[in-house]
Amino acid sequence: MFEKFFNPEAVAVVGASNNPVKIGYAIMRNLISSGYAGKIYPVNRNPGDILGIHSYQSLTDINRSVDLAVITVPAASVFDEVKECVSLKVPYVIIIPGGFSETGESGREVEKSIKNLIKGSHTRLIGPNTVGVYFPHTKLNTALTPPERVSFPVAGDIAFISQSGALGLLTMDSISEYGIGISAFVNIGNKIDVDENEFLEYFNQDARTKAIAIYLESMDNGRRFYELLRAINRVKPTVVLKSGRTEASAKAASLHTGALASNDRIVDGMLRQAGAARAYDEVELLDYSRVLAYSKPFAGERIAVVTTAGGVGVITSDYVSSRSHGIGLHMATLSEDTKAEIRKQIVSFGSAENPVDLTADGDIPSYEKVLGVLQKDRGVDAIIAYALPQTPKMNMEVVEVISRLSAADKPILVGVIGSKLGKELLVEFERARIPAFPSIERVVKSLKVLHERGIYLKSRGLL
Amino acid sequence: MNLGNLVASIRKEEVTESVLKDTFRQLGILVPRGVTLKELPPIMDLEFPVVLKVSDEKILHKTEIGGVVTGIRNKDELKSAFYSMKAKFPASEFLVEEMIEGGLEMITGIIRDKDFGLSIMIGTGGIYTELFGDVTFRLLPIDSADASEMIDEVSVGRFTGNGFRGVKADRKAIVEFLLKISEFGIAAGDFLEQLDLNPVKINYQQIYVLDAKLIKTKLLET
Repeated sequence: MFEKFFNPEAVAVVGASNNPVKIGYAIMRNLISSGYAGKIYPVNRNPGDILGIHSYQSLTDINRSVDLAVITVPAASVFDEVKECVSLKVPYVIIIPGGFSETGESGREVEKSIKNLIKGSHTRLIGPNTVGVYFPHTKLNTALTPPERVSFPVAGDIAFISQSGALGLLTMDSISEYGIGISAFVNIGNKIDVDENEFLEYFNQDARTKAIAIYLESMDNGRRFYELLRAINRVKPTVVLKSGRTEASAKAASLHTGALASNDRIVDGMLRQAGAARAYDEVELLDYSRVLAYSKPFAGERIAVVTTAGGVGVITSDYVSSRSHGIGLHMATLSEDTKAEIRKQIVSFGSAENPVDLTADGDIPSYEKVLGVLQKDRGVDAIIAYALPQTPKMNMEVVEVISRLSAADKPILVGVIGSKLGKELLVEFERARIPAFPSIERVVKSLKVLHERGIYLKSRGLL
Repeated sequence: MNLGNLVASIRKEEVTESVLKDTFRQLGILVPRGVTLKELPPIMDLEFPVVLKVSDEKILHKTEIGGVVTGIRNKDELKSAFYSMKAKFPASEFLVEEMIEGGLEMITGIIRDKDFGLSIMIGTGGIYTELFGDVTFRLLPIDSADASEMIDEVSVGRFTGNGFRGVKADRKAIVEFLLKISEFGIAAGDFLEQLDLNPVKINYQQIYVLDAKLIKTKLLET
């Protein structure tokens, strides 16, 4: 299922246009400029070329089968185009335009009639009201935002399912800056046919995908979603961002349980039960997806911190230990052997206690030895290592060092502060699939998510 | 009697508090010893202190309307409490139960959610739970790992292990209790709309359901 959708050999753009204000123009441009290698068939009632490619007056005129049709015509014309897709047995159709159920009752009726068209057919619909898809590996990009406005991420390990198109595009733009990659992006839009559950199933099987990030506004088949999520999370981690947290739930409140049962509380319990991480915004969504995709979960509670700046180490310790404004884990008590080894690597005013402070004097070889010793200390369950660019002795080699030591048993999460060399460091860590984060808070929160997955798996005999 | 038969037997009748408690008793869940009555008999096989409650399916929140008197220490107190309550609710039945003192109060409930179906809840604090919001949910059915995690997500978890200020709650006993409620919920799945067990009293390993209410789905009534 969905093989041809994710790897289409031929794509038709219905409503393709030379007019720069039309959606059919933006999508054609994105398809061409992103380097999609399959065949592109523009379809427009008027004869001629579109962006230099021969255009057809109808899908039928193409006279060969396409794997995917992208419909960009206005809502009122969508019905007829889908009808033609069904008769031509086009397996996948993305309906880009809005103007359906999100606008009211008449839009809902049109959606219903379109849905009726595909009953018993070979055609599956994605959307409507969607920006479509972006697949880095086939460079298929149906987004309607011009490339000079947003950038698209490189190929990576995270599948991104989003109910909102704009949030999806903007998030992809944000993560691109740090070289964070994705395995696929799909915007399910009004999901009149294919929904999040079917894509979840696909990405569960997809070898490129190591973690699945999901943004949802509604769960129409919540039970199924839960059951899938629970099964998938036994092996592949998922992160869910669900909006509408403060919506009142529709119910005839009568007993105390009913009064206490807000929709958000049930969603929260459902996600915990399914072993999914919960994100509260787009930054958390991708941070948590990365840490879960790149690192091994851990169930222990003892955290070691390595820094070259005292303040950063102390703030991190507070965040690690505090329950009220932190994650309520413990700073590891290092063994005497560990401390003796660390003392050999640091200057006298450094700290061999946890948080380990190498000070501005800390160079790459001593950093490597300290991390090595911490990996061996049996009182340590996970490590936060800071790569801070303010000292001359810190350089890009730290990426290779942490990468090498991450192969050992305990996960290492990296914190980076700064924007010049700092950003370069983040990009390099990302390339090495080391979870690195541009703030203290983000590295600690991501650590907590990795720990929670460890606890979940362990208490179910899976770790 | 097995769970299926038990649930089938309450499926059709009015599920009053005493019917529900009888069912729980047969499932191995502790409920206070008690008697359902319309008139006060001369002799009752109950130990004081007792609690007097109105038992009427139509009354959902009896505390708020004076339908509960706790801490009744002797026959005379019971008599006067009974007649003043009878004056208030002349058509209802009443429940006299031995009072379970001390311990930690918890709420447990089940609700049918429009997206996720039957879901189970626990919360700390009995009548104060709504104020504190110290609750957590799971979808039915739950397993023992789910139950244990629920306990830790609310303050009840802090009374497990060594307890807190002398009040102790046994994790294993709470887990077993929640699994029984989960099984009951699944068995009653076709007619259960909401279930309130509030309060549930935890005295270390002994977990008593002090009050129980069940609302059936509207579909069944038609």
